[in-house]
Amino acid sequence: MDPGLALLLNGVVSGLLLGGLYAAAAAGLSVSFGMLDVVNIAHPAFMVLGALLVALLWSATGLDPLLLSLLLAPAFWALGAAIYVAYHHFFERRGDEAIQGLAFFFGVMFLIEVGLVLAVGPEQHFADAAYAGTTWRLGEIDLPLRMLVPAAVALAAIGALALFLRRTFTGRAIAAVAQDREALRLLAIDPVRIKRLAFGISIAMAALAGGALVVVQPVDAWSGHVFIGRVFAIVIMGGLASLGGCVLAALAFGVVENVTATFYGPSWSPAVAFGCLLLVLAIRPQGLFGRAA
Amino acid sequence: MAASLLIEDLDAGYGAVRALDGVSLSVAAGETVALLGTNGNGKTTLMRCILGLLRPARGRILATIEGRQVELVGRSPEEIVDLGIALVPEGRRLFPRLSVEENLLLGAYRRTARAAIRRNLDFCYDAFPRLKERRAQPVGSMSGGEQQMVALGRAVMCAPKILLVDEPSVGLAPILVARTIEKIGELKEKLGLTVLMAEQNFHQAIRIADRGYVLVHGQVAFQGDSPAALGDSELVRKFYLGL
Repeated sequence: MDPGLALLLNGVVSGLLLGGLYAAAAAGLSVSFGMLDVVNIAHPAFMVLGALLVALLWSATGLDPLLLSLLLAPAFWALGAAIYVAYHHFFERRGDEAIQGLAFFFGVMFLIEVGLVLAVGPEQHFADAAYAGTTWRLGEIDLPLRMLVPAAVALAAIGALALFLRRTFTGRAIAAVAQDREALRLLAIDPVRIKRLAFGISIAMAALAGGALVVVQPVDAWSGHVFIGRVFAIVIMGGLASLGGCVLAALAFGVVENVTATFYGPSWSPAVAFGCLLLVLAIRPQGLFGRAA
Repeated sequence: MAASLLIEDLDAGYGAVRALDGVSLSVAAGETVALLGTNGNGKTTLMRCILGLLRPARGRILATIEGRQVELVGRSPEEIVDLGIALVPEGRRLFPRLSVEENLLLGAYRRTARAAIRRNLDFCYDAFPRLKERRAQPVGSMSGGEQQMVALGRAVMCAPKILLVDEPSVGLAPILVARTIEKIGELKEKLGLTVLMAEQNFHQAIRIADRGYVLVHGQVAFQGDSPAALGDSELVRKFYLGL
């Protein structure tokens, strides 16, 4: 194969795998920001919290990191529900959520980061999966399992979440709650209960994303920072409330970043990727898969 | 079994503004009662009080459903809807980015309604064939008339005993107003509902109403025991119809 073509193909494939990680990181935000209108800027910090807890548990038990993150998910669900209760009580109930709510989540982010530094130190932590050293080869294309397995697990979890949202009463209520919360009450549905539940789900997704992150790379308390801009861009590009759009936007973002890095150097990749975001918003303001209301 | 509604001496308002002033009215089992009056006379406020969205300052709201009498004042909207009282709100209040079917299914959230979900969905699609054709379409992209059908259908999915309808004609072309009113009459007959309907369009409302009340400045200014009595009323002719 022509070496240039092989380079491009490898760039696209590893971009898709990177996109799988982005999808994991962005899916929870697609629920909180896209469906609930809660601008949770601390979402990547929750992912890092999950990643570091997985690393600690891994060194204590030696269990698979992704399995550990799955076991952590219920606790993260409860944590998310508790945080939503506080957020609702102090901000949303009074209609103060726009700016003060954002400041609240900024504060939560710093609390998590400082707490992590105090608890586990500022250094990088890691967790090795049994398959981390293995790479499958398809002709000229490398498929490192260290990237492939987390991406596959993340996509499976997102698929399950999408089914839940589409097929269950609670799922449909989650999709509806940001559109007209008082109208839900007319249908005997308590919008606060629905948002609490859904915010819990979004934080549980952050735990899973943390498991994926720590398999892919070593993690320190600030590893979430590079994700903040990316996950918001992906959720917006995907059309806010659409999980399928979020996944496709994440994959596209990963490919654009990775191919740019391969051919023009990594310093160009964020510029090109965010340039694509602006382009998408100029052409389709509702996002790639958003439904125009 | 049919259900009834009794409202006694109700006062309600927003801050210093008193929107309802000693309103008493009743809707007997199986009746269709029209609540008439122009904008700003308290029709929507009354609907909001019945559904628990606004707490009245004074008075009682009693619903009798399946032989059990329940005081509604002080209950949450969720509890009240769960008793079997559904509201088709003014402006429809649908979920524009969800499909027709998703909107309808959300109506069947309460436990009693879930048991009858298949039958009620078939009933809706039977009553509104257009909705069946467009079941996958986002509601926000539909016409006002079609959206009103979805709003009525969503209330049917709640499996109510008492149906409250607030200003069904707002924003609709005259021909659609007539059709919507007829549909409400049809749903009432087929499902054995008790209906309280707030409406500005006098001529359309009295086509299906058994009786009616006229609200003026938050008070019951006239009570007509038949459509004819309403039409003959001096008050209705003078203030309401501008004759």
